[in-house]
Amino acid sequence: MIVPVHGRHITSVGFQAGKDKMNAVVVKSKEVTLLEILDRVLDKGVVISGDMVISVADVDLIYLGLKVLLSSVETIEKLKGSPFTSPM
Amino acid sequence: MKLYLYGIIDSSNQTEESIYGLEGSGVYNIPYCDIGAVVSEISQPIQEVTAGSVLEHETVVEKLMANFTVLPVRFQTIIDGRDNLLSIMQSYYRDFKDNLERVSNKFEFGIKVIWSADKMKENIIKALNKEQQKKLEPASSSGKKFMKEKFEKYKIDKEFEAKADKLIKVMDIFFSKFAAEKKLTKLKTENLLLDAVYLVEKPQESNFREVFEHIKSARSDFKYLFSGPWPAYNFVVLSKKSSLLREPEQTNLFDKVTQSQTLVGVDII
Repeated sequence: MIVPVHGRHITSVGFQAGKDKMNAVVVKSKEVTLLEILDRVLDKGVVISGDMVISVADVDLIYLGLKVLLSSVETIEKLKGSPFTSPM
Repeated sequence: MKLYLYGIIDSSNQTEESIYGLEGSGVYNIPYCDIGAVVSEISQPIQEVTAGSVLEHETVVEKLMANFTVLPVRFQTIIDGRDNLLSIMQSYYRDFKDNLERVSNKFEFGIKVIWSADKMKENIIKALNKEQQKKLEPASSSGKKFMKEKFEKYKIDKEFEAKADKLIKVMDIFFSKFAAEKKLTKLKTENLLLDAVYLVEKPQESNFREVFEHIKSARSDFKYLFSGPWPAYNFVVLSKKSSLLREPEQTNLFDKVTQSQTLVGVDII
């Protein structure tokens, strides 16, 4: 299934139909999408630094905090149940 | 006037549609030669980083991506005025230009493959036990037993790594067919078999997706996460640091706290 969030697509596998399950999958997929966005926006891309750049020191700490909370797709899966339903 | 920088684009023209960024300010392009820096005015650096502000930033980048090649800039890059921004553009121009050309007409896709490490190890242990029953006598002394256990653990770990290498290699052969560049990380955690990003030419997008579907059905015992298209977040490489710039003190903190992240972006195959 494909869940659009902010134009992005996250594809998960083995989705089983059902309204409640659908809602759960959408919510979890959004979390996964947010994680993917955070991983890129906060940790990747062009980094410019120096006297001409005003930066907030705490951003790195906030990033660390976010990483602890949303440490990995794997963690989300373990904590909240998988957005994917394929058997292991 | 402080300028919040979203990205560098391959155009000196203004965006056709009106885009609003952080604090609801209008987003516009500040041209430098044939490229541009897309900014909005901001009153102060963001005090509280929220998912909302990150999404606002990403939304602007995404809208730019629809019409331009974009080098996305890291969240909360704020420049002290237009003159300073133009100095930065002048200093980084060659780098920006080279990267824009390299990632032009390409999208980034993320692929994560999760397997069950426990189940894999169970299978390895079963296979090793079968082999040992045929070959080895039981260890008699406690010293020998200790060494035997150590050796068995080593063999399990080695076999586990070998299995991961083999699977990633096979998957990567398929994905690489339609990718211009790639960055792979093996076993970031025991269950995260593969964390990969591929840079794919736009006309190859459907082939790339098809390959993903093919792999997904071939190994339906694994779980997958496919994300994209993204601008080339993972493929921007600045070759030189501007002589105008110096590293701020805080960058060391980031390096220290995210050591586990340093593997991201390293092609380990």
